[in-house]
Amino acid sequence: MAERSFTNEVQKLRLGEGDEFRGEGILAVTKALLQSGVSYIGGYQGAPISHLIDVLGDSRDLLEGLGIYFENSASEAGAAAMLGASINYPVRGAVTWKSTVGTNVASDALSNLASAGVKGGALIILGEDYGEGSSIIQERTHAFAMKSQMWLMDPRPNLTSIVNLVEQSFELSEASQTPVMLQLRIRACHVYGSFICKDNKAPRISSNELITEPSFDFSKINLPPSIYEQERLKIDARWPAAVNFIRDRKLNETFDGELGELGLIVPGGLYNGVIRALQQLDLADTYGRSKIPLYVMNVVYPLVPDELIQFCVTRLSVLVVEEGQPNYIEDAIHAVLRKAGVAAPLHGKDIFPMAGEYTGEVLLRGIGAYLDAARPAKLEVTEVLATQRALTGLRQDGVAALVEPVPSRPPGFCIGCPERPVFAAIKLMQKELGTVHVSADIGCHTFGTLAPFNVGSTVLGYGLGLASSSGIAPLMRNRVISIMGDGGFWHNGFTSGVVNAVYNGQDSVLVILKNGYTSATGTQAIPSSPTQRTNHPMTLDIAAALKGVGVRWVKTVPSYSVSDMLSTLKDAMTTEEGGLKVIIADGECQLERQRRIKPIVAKRLKAGKREVRTRFGIDDDVCTGDHSCIRLSGCPSLTIKPNPSALRTDPVATVNQGCVGCGLCGENVHAATLCPSFYKAEIIQNATRWERLIYRLRSSVIGMLAGASRTQEALTA
Amino acid sequence: MSDIKPISILVAALGGEGGGVLSDWIISAATQLDFPVQSTSVPGVAQRTGATTYYLEVLPLARNALAGREPIFSLTPTPGSLDIIVASELVEAGRVLQGGYVNTARTTLIASTHREYAISEKTAMGDGRFDTARLVTAAQKMAQRTFLFDMRVLAWKHGTVINTVMFGAMAGTGVLPFPREVCEEAIRESGKAVEASLRGFAAGYGHVTGTGDADVTAPASIQAGVSSIPRRVQQFPEPVRQLVGAGVEHVTDYQSNAYASLYLDRCETICGIESDRGQLDFPVTRETARYLALWMAYEDVVRVADLKTRRERLDRVRKEVSAKEGEPLRLTEYLKPGLDEICSMLPSRLANWTRNRFKGREGAFSVALHMRTDTVSGFLLLCTLRSLRFWRPRSSRYANEQKAIVRWLAAIRLALAMSGGVAHELALSGNLVKGYGETSERGHRNLEAILADFEATGLRDPELLEARVRDARVAALADPEGRTLAKSLGLQPPEPKAKPIRFVRRLPHA
Repeated sequence: MAERSFTNEVQKLRLGEGDEFRGEGILAVTKALLQSGVSYIGGYQGAPISHLIDVLGDSRDLLEGLGIYFENSASEAGAAAMLGASINYPVRGAVTWKSTVGTNVASDALSNLASAGVKGGALIILGEDYGEGSSIIQERTHAFAMKSQMWLMDPRPNLTSIVNLVEQSFELSEASQTPVMLQLRIRACHVYGSFICKDNKAPRISSNELITEPSFDFSKINLPPSIYEQERLKIDARWPAAVNFIRDRKLNETFDGELGELGLIVPGGLYNGVIRALQQLDLADTYGRSKIPLYVMNVVYPLVPDELIQFCVTRLSVLVVEEGQPNYIEDAIHAVLRKAGVAAPLHGKDIFPMAGEYTGEVLLRGIGAYLDAARPAKLEVTEVLATQRALTGLRQDGVAALVEPVPSRPPGFCIGCPERPVFAAIKLMQKELGTVHVSADIGCHTFGTLAPFNVGSTVLGYGLGLASSSGIAPLMRNRVISIMGDGGFWHNGFTSGVVNAVYNGQDSVLVILKNGYTSATGTQAIPSSPTQRTNHPMTLDIAAALKGVGVRWVKTVPSYSVSDMLSTLKDAMTTEEGGLKVIIADGECQLERQRRIKPIVAKRLKAGKREVRTRFGIDDDVCTGDHSCIRLSGCPSLTIKPNPSALRTDPVATVNQGCVGCGLCGENVHAATLCPSFYKAEIIQNATRWERLIYRLRSSVIGMLAGASRTQEALTA
Repeated sequence: MSDIKPISILVAALGGEGGGVLSDWIISAATQLDFPVQSTSVPGVAQRTGATTYYLEVLPLARNALAGREPIFSLTPTPGSLDIIVASELVEAGRVLQGGYVNTARTTLIASTHREYAISEKTAMGDGRFDTARLVTAAQKMAQRTFLFDMRVLAWKHGTVINTVMFGAMAGTGVLPFPREVCEEAIRESGKAVEASLRGFAAGYGHVTGTGDADVTAPASIQAGVSSIPRRVQQFPEPVRQLVGAGVEHVTDYQSNAYASLYLDRCETICGIESDRGQLDFPVTRETARYLALWMAYEDVVRVADLKTRRERLDRVRKEVSAKEGEPLRLTEYLKPGLDEICSMLPSRLANWTRNRFKGREGAFSVALHMRTDTVSGFLLLCTLRSLRFWRPRSSRYANEQKAIVRWLAAIRLALAMSGGVAHELALSGNLVKGYGETSERGHRNLEAILADFEATGLRDPELLEARVRDARVAALADPEGRTLAKSLGLQPPEPKAKPIRFVRRLPHA
């Protein structure tokens, strides 16, 4: 049960030789895996590669037919360890996760894998979440590649290049006995395009064609003296093999241009952006023919020194476009050129900003500055610079015209989200008990740190909410609260947080938000999901797991009961009982719930069955426009509208059509003693005749009792 | 290099508005004509209610004319290179302007004029809405062509989602390189809610090309429904007449004709002084009349019961929750009356006695009621409360409110004798008193602090004093805890209320 169903897209994975595939980048990668003859696939969800997991989850028939094993791994570490299958056996495998947070988790296994080396091609597909729309710390995958000596692909972001590079990656991996990483930026994962397919390849070893002879080879074990030999092999055998393969297969591309004294070195992933900047400056045509020569690195690690020397040796200066920091690539190219005695000046971060995404505007400014410095003879640089300034000045013009910046629109909890009431309860609890240190976690609940709640002082990593309180809790006068999602709980929070806290006798409060899925990544199933895939009958129980490791104080509270949650929180914060106290906030992800019940309700209504629809509303003449209700909720469907009163100027609160009737508005009114303007309306669809009759009777009496507004005439009459 | 360039399209939308489906239609239209097309988006965390964008490029050349060449499309919108931008909401159009994407030489900008308010606008204690007037001017100045109209209303009218109207409008501008039929075919091909989508498309197309039905402008602002103007109101100067009329109507509706007379007496006094000062537009009278009416009609249980039992309210609820004709409706009110509500209806001395008697045990009186008002008994209960209106002038709350009102009016009069600006600021401060329970208490507390500061201040420079009152008034709305206000007036920050809660230190290892 994931947010998106890929039942239609799965059909595209069956396309054969010569067919045209049209779709998203991440689906094209999936198709490329099938064309490469992989035996097994794993991964852990996270933007922007969640869809790869989702689509594989929806294509069991296809995978089983080819004999490919797929699992939704328990964590990135689990996925990386899965690649261990390729150490001893000539089987191809691929895993995927969100980098760099996932790569951090996977690092232990990756180091060991890279040291042992692989027989079968091992590929790691990384969703590089950098820049616009990112939800994580801004770091690069590049460092992981360098430290473990794994090769890092950065394909040009068009489907043909991406698919080709996936296939080449397996061959490179086998030729150099080294795992290969392939990074795809957010927009490349979601890019819609097309490529010409090949047939899917059933792997030689598969769940249909089993291995009969297990292998033992001590040289693959990470113990001395094997580890010294493994390191030597990395340098003496695998690295040169990789460089030769990259050169021979021409994985990096050189494009000539008429301005031969200049040159641009561009990682594949940034190619389209650089070309667009050149197009805007009239230095490249629609089809990417550039006046400035380009060296495009579809493999950003390792470098191919002779290619770089050859590209730079005849130029008067070269510009490296390297996004993110540190500038590993630029520094490495410097070293290559200087050792070879190539004199051409190399520009990079001296022209481009050290940090931040290289957006269109940044690229335009950078290339403009490079041309301004280089002043090639055959180009009217002044004209180019005028064009550049006109374009890059537009943002300031826009800002100036608006005078005041428009309000930002940060992400937040969805309509009816079960996590919102928990943060409302924490906010109310702090009003009574004073401020409390809250250790937040990764998940949709990280939005609790944003307005209107601003609850949570630190975020240390997925599932690390409780672990991250272990240092501060003993130093704090009052108890601290930690937040953890059920996804984070199973990912590692159970061991790193709960088990550790029990074992170390920590006295603190943990709130587990049990919404049933990894909702932030698109509602993938976890061990405790209420609905599982058909071949997963098992649903694991969080409360049982807690009790199993000796947590004595465990209370399950329905998420939407703000008053109960408030009193349970107060109880947990003030009880004399020591040890870890866990509150399980139980409420299914509303996105998933709506997706699940909508078709059922529609069907029932069509069949004439009785259904009650719940909606909340606000009497706009009772509301006075203070908006305390919004400050305690932030629900997208609880919004404001112009005041209908001729006297009042402040907008009134209103509940819009999106309301799913979760009940939080009413709960908050009671728990926080807000105003009496809220009402709950339950509309009975396909009501019984009896209900209709009663309603008519009641309405006619109420109609007689109902009043009207008093006017001067009415009163004087 | 003069070759055919791709058409670049930016869709700025919010989560759940169908921006992805709109992208799919554009892709489908391009594919029908065999034009190379690319789309990207940044869902990421933006999918959860945040702002999101979809970016597309189409090369208006059929593939067979390309001789095997592949256009290089950008994955991100770049400054100045947008041919057409469509924003599903007005502030999102502002965001696009702010990003430098709108180019006078090239960009057609379409935006819906309705608002989906951002969280910072919604949580303000008063009016935190972004001023969109400047935004509209900026859009018209910076774009080559602009089409600003309420697309949401059109979508509602045609029973569809806003993305269909957006698509129609885009096609109508002629910037998309597809004829109308191709766009409509794309909608048909998608196979979902085809008829409604085509209606929405036609509405958007018609509006932009000027061939559609009556134009959609923002709904007219609500006018005061003053039916006939009483004689005493007619004697007020023109600039404030309508507002005083609305005030009279409000106060009459709240209590009685006599109460409205009291209101008029009070307004007349202020108006008289301001008239003597030769103020032509009567700003002090206007704001005093406004907030005096609202304050005199303070919110209490009687008022709530009164408003909740009106015929027009019952109709409004049915309409608001879109209940169909004949569908039974269960209605639940969330009321939590406490000791305060009871005392406020008692006469002053009895109220004081009761408050003292139960001091520290107020919580015990708070009952969270889920009151059904679609039942006769529930409705009758509200009717009973409503009938207490005649008792209201004898209640302790009434006495307290009148006392506070008198103090406020006295301050305004005093200030008016000195400076119109200060009086105007004091009049505006009347907006602090509103709401129920804690909100109302907080408002009273804040206004009292401002009045006390005014009464005690040695400042006699009108400009400084005006600034001081204005700063305090704005500060009072900055945070519910009153910290900013205290700082503004140079007072001690408010003490958190003492609570009988025992803090337990964490226990050492068991």
